[in-house]
Amino acid sequence: MNNLNLVKGLFLVALSLLFGLGALNYPLGTFDRAGPGMFPLMASSLLFVLGLIIAVRSFVVEKLVIHFNAKNIGIILVSLCGFALLAEYVSMILGIIFMVFVSSIAGISYSVVRNIKISVSLVLIALAFQKLLGVQLPLY
Amino acid sequence: MEILQNLALGFEHALTWQNLLFCAVGCTVGTLIGLLPGLGPLATISLLLPLTYSIPVTGALIMLAGIYYGAQYGDSVSAITMKIPHASSIVACIDGYQMTLKGKTGLALFTAGVSSFIGGTVAIVVLATLAPALGEVALLFGPADYCALMAFGFVCVSFVTTGSLLSGLAMCIVGVLLGQIGTDVNSGTLRYTLGLPFLSDGIGLVSIALGCFGIAEITKNLDAKQDRTPFNGKINLIPTWPEFKRIIPSALRGSVIGSFLGILPGGGPSIAQFAAYAIDKKVSKYKEEIGSGAIEGVAGQAAADEAAARTSFIPLMSIGIPENAVMALMMAAFIIKGIQPGPNMIAGHPDLFWGLVASMWIGNVFLLVLNVPLVRYWLSVFKIPYAVLFPSILFFCVIGTFSINNSFDDVLVTAGFGLVGYIFLRLHLDPAPLMLGFILGPMLEENLRRALLLNHGSFTIFVTRPISATLFALIGLFVVWQVAAFFLAARKGGKAPMHESEEAAGEH
Repeated sequence: MNNLNLVKGLFLVALSLLFGLGALNYPLGTFDRAGPGMFPLMASSLLFVLGLIIAVRSFVVEKLVIHFNAKNIGIILVSLCGFALLAEYVSMILGIIFMVFVSSIAGISYSVVRNIKISVSLVLIALAFQKLLGVQLPLY
Repeated sequence: MEILQNLALGFEHALTWQNLLFCAVGCTVGTLIGLLPGLGPLATISLLLPLTYSIPVTGALIMLAGIYYGAQYGDSVSAITMKIPHASSIVACIDGYQMTLKGKTGLALFTAGVSSFIGGTVAIVVLATLAPALGEVALLFGPADYCALMAFGFVCVSFVTTGSLLSGLAMCIVGVLLGQIGTDVNSGTLRYTLGLPFLSDGIGLVSIALGCFGIAEITKNLDAKQDRTPFNGKINLIPTWPEFKRIIPSALRGSVIGSFLGILPGGGPSIAQFAAYAIDKKVSKYKEEIGSGAIEGVAGQAAADEAAARTSFIPLMSIGIPENAVMALMMAAFIIKGIQPGPNMIAGHPDLFWGLVASMWIGNVFLLVLNVPLVRYWLSVFKIPYAVLFPSILFFCVIGTFSINNSFDDVLVTAGFGLVGYIFLRLHLDPAPLMLGFILGPMLEENLRRALLLNHGSFTIFVTRPISATLFALIGLFVVWQVAAFFLAARKGGKAPMHESEEAAGEH
C-alpha cells in the first residue's frame, strides 16, 4: 500500500465521496433552478473522476514511496490544540508556555532553559501587541 | 496623457507621510518574514494580514502590496545566500547560489535588487496602460463567460504550478468544495457545517493558508532534521561599471517577458522566471557562463519575477478574477477592506486604483534603497537556531489566526489544516491551486447558477457565446494534448515519466 500515486487517487476519491454524499442531503433542484446541493454534487463528481484516473494511472507510471512521519505533525497539532483550549478556558499566557514546551519536543534538541527564554519573550511580544498595537488578546 | 494625469492622481494619494510609512513597514516586515525558511509570499501575507485591519483602506492595500514585494525579495535573498528555495525563487538558486560560492554574494544581491527595480518599473507602465482597457473588455463578460474564464484559470494554474494537470485540477476542486462550507447565499441552507456554529460563515482563508503553507512547511523542515548553517560570508554590494552594464540588457529582456507572462491566466512569477532564464540562456552575450554564476542568470529572472508579480494584478483589478493563489489572497484582503476588485473598481475608486499603482513603484524604490543596503542585517535572522525560530513562527501563526475573528475556534481550524496540508505535502499535492479554487468556488457557483437560470437550465449557453466557447475550446485542446502526450510517452518508454518533484510542491 506504499504507492504514492495510488494513495493520492484514493484519498481524492474519499474526499469526493465525503462531499458528494453530503451534497445529497441538500435539495438538488433542477438545472434552471439549482438548489444548494447541485453545485457541490457536480464538483465532487468531477473530483471523483479525477481521483479515479490518478488511482488507475498509478499502475502504469513509476511507483513513488510515501514519506509520512506522524510524530512531528502530531506534536505540532497537540501543541496548537492545547494552546487554543488553554487560551480559551484558562489563560493565553499559559497557552503560549504550553505551546512552546510541547512543540519544541519536535526539534533536534530540547532545553528547558531555552524554552523558558522563548516563552518569556513571546509573552512580552504578545503584551506589546496588546498594549502598543491595540490587538485584542485576552492574555490573562 | 490621460495616463499621466491618472498617475499624478495616484502619486498624490500615495505620497502622504502615512502611506509612505505603511509602504516602508510593509516592505521591511515582508522581507524579514519572507527570509524565514518555509514562509513564502502566501504564508507571509496571511500572517501579516491582521496588521492591516486597523489601517485606512488605501494605506492597508499599499502595505499589503509592500509586504508582497518584500516577501519576494526576501525569498530571493535566502535563495542566493543559502540556496533555500521557495517556489517563487527556484531559479534564483541556480546562478545566484553559484555566485555566492564564488564569493560574489554582494554582486548577486545587488543585481537582484536593481533588476527587480527595472522589472517593476516596466511592469507598472504596462499595468497603467492595460488595466483600464481590459476593464472595458470585462464589461462584455456574461455569467457563462466568467465560468469559462475561471475554468480556464484552473486548468492553467494546475498545469503551471504542479506540472501535473490531474493533481492540480483535483486540488482546485478540493478548494472549490471547501469553499462550499458555510451558508449558501441563494437559499440560506447551511452546508457541511457539521452542526458547528462557527462554520456557518465558512472557513477562513487565513486558516487554510497558514495551515497548508505555514504549519505544514514547519513540520516538513522538522522532519528534515537539519540545522541550517547561517550565511557568514562577506557582502560587497557595489559593482564595477562593466558588471553594472551587464545587468541592463538581461533585466530589460526579463521585464518584457515577465510583464507579458504575468497577465496570462495561471501566469505569475514562477513561470516568468523560468521563461526569462531559458531565453537568456539562448540569446545572451554571455550565454556560456549562465548556470555557473553569471550576472545575466540572476538579472533576467529577477526582473521577470518582479514584473510578473506586478502585472498579475491586472486580471484581478480589471476583470475581478485572480489568476493565481497570491492574487486570490490579495482579493480576500481587498474584500475584507470593503473593496470588490473588478471593472467597477477603476471607475468607482480611481484614487485607490491609481494610488496602488503609484505605491507599487514607491515600494520598488524602498526595496532598492532600504533592503539592498541593509540586507546583511536581515541575514542575521538565520543566526537564530531553528529550535528557537519554529515555536516563534507557530506563535505568530496562532496570533494571526486568532486576531481575525477573536476566536480560538479559528486556531483549531488552522491546526486541522496543518494536518491536511501535511498530508497534501506528503502526497505531492500542491495546495496553491486549492487556494485559488477556494476563493473562486463561490463565484463559480454563483455564475454557473445564474448562467443556467438565464438559459432555462440548458448548458448550450457555454458553447453559443463566443467568449466562453473560445475558452472552453482552448481547455478541450489542452486536455486532448495532455492525454495524447501521456499515451505517447507510455508507449515509448513503457513507464511514463512523472514530473513531480517535491521542490515543485510550493507556492504560486
